[in-house]
Amino acid sequence: MSDNLLLSALWLIPVIGMIAVLIVPRSRLDLMRWISLGSTFAVLVLAVVILGIYLDRPEAQTSLRERGAQNALLAVGGEGAVEVAESKSGSFDLMARSPWIPFFNIQYYIGVDGVNLSLILLTALIAFLACLASWNITHQPKGYYSLFLLLTASMTGVFLSLDLILFYVFFEVMLLPMYFLIAIWGGPMRDYAAIKFLLYTLFGSVFILVAILILYFYPGGSVRGFQGHSFDLVELTSVVTESGYYPRSVQGWVFLLFLVGFLVKLPSFPFHTWLPDAHVEAPTPISMILAGILLKIGGYGMVRLAWPLAPAGAYDWSMVVAAIGVFSILYGALVAMAQNDFKKLVAYSSVSHMGFVTLGMASMALFSPVDSSRLDPRYYAFGVNGAMFMMLAHGITSAGMFFLVGVIYDRAKTRELDKLGGLNNVMPLYGSMSYVIFFGAMGLPGLCGFVAEVFVVLAAFHYSVSLGTLAAAAMILTAGYILWTIQRVFLGRNESWKDLPDLNAREFLIAVPLVILTIALGIFPQALILNWVGPSVDQTVQGIVSARELNVQPGQIPAPRSAGAGLPAGARAAVAQAQEH
Amino acid sequence: MKWQAGLYLIAVLVPLFAFAVQAVFLRGLKRRCVVVATAAVGFSCLLSVIGFVDYFGFEAAWLSAGHGVQSGPGAREAETGPVVWRASADWVVLGGAAAGTEDRPGLTVAKPSLVIPLGIAVDNLGVIMFLMVTFVATLIHVYSIGYMHADPGYPRFFAYLSLFTFSMLGLVASSNLFMTFLFWELVGLCSYLLIGFWYQEKANCVAANKAFLVNRVGDLGMMVGLGLLWSTLGTLTFEEINQGLRDGSGQWNVKTGDEGRDVVVLQEARSGEPVVNPITQERRQIPMGLLTLAGLGIFAGCVGKSAQFPLHVWLPDAMAGPTPVSALIHAATMVAAGVFLVGRFYPLFTEEVLLVIAYTGGITLLIGATIAVVQTDYKQVLAYSTVSQLGFMMLGLGVGGWAAGLFHLVTHAFFKALLFLCAGSVYHSVHTYEMPELGGLLKKMPTTAYAMLVGTLAISGAPFFAGFYSKDAILTAALARVHESPEHMLLFVLPAIGGVLTAFYMFRLWLLIFSGESRSKHLGQGDPVARAYESPEIMTRPLVILAVCSIFVGWTVQLGLPPVIGPRPVLEQMLEYGAPAWLEQGQGPHWLALGASLAVAGIGAGLALLYYAPSGLPHFTARRLSAAHAAETYPVLQQFLLKKWYFDPLYAFLFVRPTRALARLFARFDQTLVDGLVNTAAAATALLSRLEGYFDQFAVDGLVNLLARAVYRLGELSRLIQTGRLRTYLLFLTIMLVGLFAGVIAWVHG
Repeated sequence: MSDNLLLSALWLIPVIGMIAVLIVPRSRLDLMRWISLGSTFAVLVLAVVILGIYLDRPEAQTSLRERGAQNALLAVGGEGAVEVAESKSGSFDLMARSPWIPFFNIQYYIGVDGVNLSLILLTALIAFLACLASWNITHQPKGYYSLFLLLTASMTGVFLSLDLILFYVFFEVMLLPMYFLIAIWGGPMRDYAAIKFLLYTLFGSVFILVAILILYFYPGGSVRGFQGHSFDLVELTSVVTESGYYPRSVQGWVFLLFLVGFLVKLPSFPFHTWLPDAHVEAPTPISMILAGILLKIGGYGMVRLAWPLAPAGAYDWSMVVAAIGVFSILYGALVAMAQNDFKKLVAYSSVSHMGFVTLGMASMALFSPVDSSRLDPRYYAFGVNGAMFMMLAHGITSAGMFFLVGVIYDRAKTRELDKLGGLNNVMPLYGSMSYVIFFGAMGLPGLCGFVAEVFVVLAAFHYSVSLGTLAAAAMILTAGYILWTIQRVFLGRNESWKDLPDLNAREFLIAVPLVILTIALGIFPQALILNWVGPSVDQTVQGIVSARELNVQPGQIPAPRSAGAGLPAGARAAVAQAQEH
Repeated sequence: MKWQAGLYLIAVLVPLFAFAVQAVFLRGLKRRCVVVATAAVGFSCLLSVIGFVDYFGFEAAWLSAGHGVQSGPGAREAETGPVVWRASADWVVLGGAAAGTEDRPGLTVAKPSLVIPLGIAVDNLGVIMFLMVTFVATLIHVYSIGYMHADPGYPRFFAYLSLFTFSMLGLVASSNLFMTFLFWELVGLCSYLLIGFWYQEKANCVAANKAFLVNRVGDLGMMVGLGLLWSTLGTLTFEEINQGLRDGSGQWNVKTGDEGRDVVVLQEARSGEPVVNPITQERRQIPMGLLTLAGLGIFAGCVGKSAQFPLHVWLPDAMAGPTPVSALIHAATMVAAGVFLVGRFYPLFTEEVLLVIAYTGGITLLIGATIAVVQTDYKQVLAYSTVSQLGFMMLGLGVGGWAAGLFHLVTHAFFKALLFLCAGSVYHSVHTYEMPELGGLLKKMPTTAYAMLVGTLAISGAPFFAGFYSKDAILTAALARVHESPEHMLLFVLPAIGGVLTAFYMFRLWLLIFSGESRSKHLGQGDPVARAYESPEIMTRPLVILAVCSIFVGWTVQLGLPPVIGPRPVLEQMLEYGAPAWLEQGQGPHWLALGASLAVAGIGAGLALLYYAPSGLPHFTARRLSAAHAAETYPVLQQFLLKKWYFDPLYAFLFVRPTRALARLFARFDQTLVDGLVNTAAAATALLSRLEGYFDQFAVDGLVNLLARAVYRLGELSRLIQTGRLRTYLLFLTIMLVGLFAGVIAWVHG
């Protein structure tokens, strides 16, 4: 089995499952359920297998760049039309590519490293659990399950892609099933919420597309044989890292465009208002996916695209972005505190937590505070690792929280916090599981949220003491709204809910993995996650740092690192002019 | 790793294991949870005893230490510091790859990562704290078997206790500030869970939330300190920082920075070489200003946890939890963690911070003591008394009495646990906390009464009781500090006043509960005192044991003779062994301090007797004072104290309500403005598209239609020509030809 098949299966299996669901007769609800559950489970197993291979094979753990070079495509011919042919493919280096639309140099280019593999695992897990949580959906199940599987396929596809156009295609395909899943199976305001979600995300994705096209068309001359016209994420990253092909001003624009696009997706203040509506209206399993995975695509876009492809721009804007992150954290927490709808509260808490991702990425204190010519990017690496960890931790806790809200909504038919209460008495198992997950979200030590928060806050302190302090102040607000919620939902007495049944076996089965992961990731972050995610993140950070070094030194001509790399801007312009005439 | 480190590691982890077992098998174990929990804590206690004996019996030369340069093993340790048992593992290792790799001939080395370790470091303070925590916890477990017997949440209670024991031991054992912070939050969680143990009552939940949130305010400061130290020094290990910032005589390793600001350089403890950041090759250093800020931040955390002014407001409310919890968590162990951390991280604090610590302690002890004087709820009296005693400890540390403050921590743990357990025993019997309802319980429950009398004597500082020695040590240290700088006279006056008040309110409490006759207005079965009975043995035995400890833990070797006459108390010397070497410890016992200690205890107790002694004692009856009369004379003062200095309404006004208002404001802002903007944009787009529709319909399409109509008209017109008659066509043709020829001729000739 080749890398290509192994990796492609991650998104092909759900597609096949979707087709199978479509073929199954309308009356066979149970068959549709089991097909969906089977496909998501197969994806989960496959993702675990890939993780096994990744951990096992040293060749799979080398940087994407090295592997990209091994899997090189020969560029033959000229005049824009690039003929591509596969040369050599290492076995099980977990990367595969082949030409897709050769005329535009678009490839079917997929591969994993620690960063996206961790998110793929998360996707597979949450999709499986969400599928299990879909058991009580009986309205038009055929449509539901087929769209659900299409959604799963597109999400894994987004994380797999190493070609910008491929990424964009999966990114857009994802919107469609999500739109219908909210619009058909949602709550009373579903039409409004669905259209809002769709348009808002499309609005953001336009920015991303423009940024991609700028990278493709920018005429930066020729640096070591690179002449632009590439959607190859790995190649572009290494070009940005090692040469001054894209000048600082262009990177600024590219960064801002990417940033807006991904801030919408993340979401961050001020682009967040689609989230509460979409969450409130979406059915429980879709909320789980929305919070658990879709938001992570925004963060993933930052880690993979915005920062590495425009590091100089990112550095120039870092203070603004960090401030946005901190403001999101505080703002989300405060607004969450004022909510009376359980689901809305959790939605706003997502805004708050995702602010940590923004902050972690933006805490770009790359230099020693004493002597600004000495690099020490380790603190920044902590921030980016924290951002990554926050994505995983939030993926687990927020999916858990939405599931728990769904459980109580199924039983009590209300989500109003003021009407709930006393549930600990009647549903002790539900209560104790909720405690773990809510405290995990609150960032209690020993649970997963803490690790992420503390990494980001520590990095932020190195970047700016005042921003760090403000971010740490969110500890108080977060504790405030979580404890207040717990009090209003679980504590006290309430006669009206005294007959509610506790979790049933299926619900227990969904909650248990989330609870276990919340605890395990909090206690063993290094062994479980950082050991294999950390090096990939560190490579990304190293790329950002060296690119920034190359582009930013004001008034300095960057020293060429190797032959042809890092031509000064003036020389590059001259080369470009010479080529034109 | 020495075997002792493993011993303590097991002692920490056994309660965690017990908690895990109880949490997973809660339903199966039911009431058998108590066996698991008690066995675990008992085992930890056993290990702590072994460790204690080994440390002070074999490893550490503590008897000869602390008195300047000496020969023998003590001299060796004066240079290297006390014996410490360590074990450590890296929890998180990150960032090395980001810093790149170094290419050396033949090999590629990844640059060193930033490491957050988890480790234990048990020194003399740790050994003593371990023994104290596990011993008190074991007794309280046993006591709870009786106290919580009838409670439906019995198994849950013991599961929480196990979790707490683990967290507290972890906190004591931790070798670095990060890990301390981790356990710091965990004990906070346990405190939250146990204050809200009877969660059906809303008031308890509110108290639990308040405790957690107020603590988080302090933790924010701690996080600031943590962040500052981490980003400047790159390490959070106590030992490295404690020994690296100052030289052997306690002077800071200062180098004057570029802009004339003082910068403290971190040095290797043994070699004296500056610690270097391996990536940038720079010295690790922190500006003096930031160091002060970091110290204040960490102290803010301690203020929250140890209920110091201005964050003391949570502790009295925390009495909503079951009384054994109040005894264990909110009196003996957890609330002392702040004091413990100040002691642990002592060399970090600059002169200014130490002054802040001392005054905070002083203010706190006064506030706590004054409020305790007027409370009628005996558990509240004890709570405020805890606040006040914690203030004593902080003050002791702040004035330079390192061993004195921590000595008081340990003695206080015993007698305050005793007092709370006695209070629980009383409540168990009479089911009320109101002292005006009680009186004359001495006859009904003598064991409890006499045990509580021991506690009262101990906390008041009566000679030959533990509290006497530790309070004396604090007063001695305060006296020395005042002697050094007389402008800080308050630092001696405050504890002296506090001492008087302590003796007063404690004797008041004991007299009101146990002496005289019942004052209940109810008769017969309605009278709580009439129904009272002595608690079962499983509850009274721990009382007796703690009462014995409350006498002996402070003793000197000469059977408790005051240190002015002989050597200082054993425990104090054990603590002093690990004191920072540069700190002048035990400035010599002072007759003045001894006199002050005796005087304050005597005056306080005497006043209480004059006010509250039972009328049966003839001598006192003659010259009684009346509390009611005093209250009538100073109504404003009484109200001020009854309302607890109005802290709660003040904070509600200053912080709680504004935050909630801000939250509501933001929510509305979000809904109307941010989302409004989005919706407006959407509506505007819709409007625009409708306009465009009209434009399309009328202008664009209109133009097309116009064109079509024009063509049509043209066709209509041309139809007029198409008559179908041949002669008409011939006519047109002729006219055309004539015109054409005319034109051609004109063109050629023109």
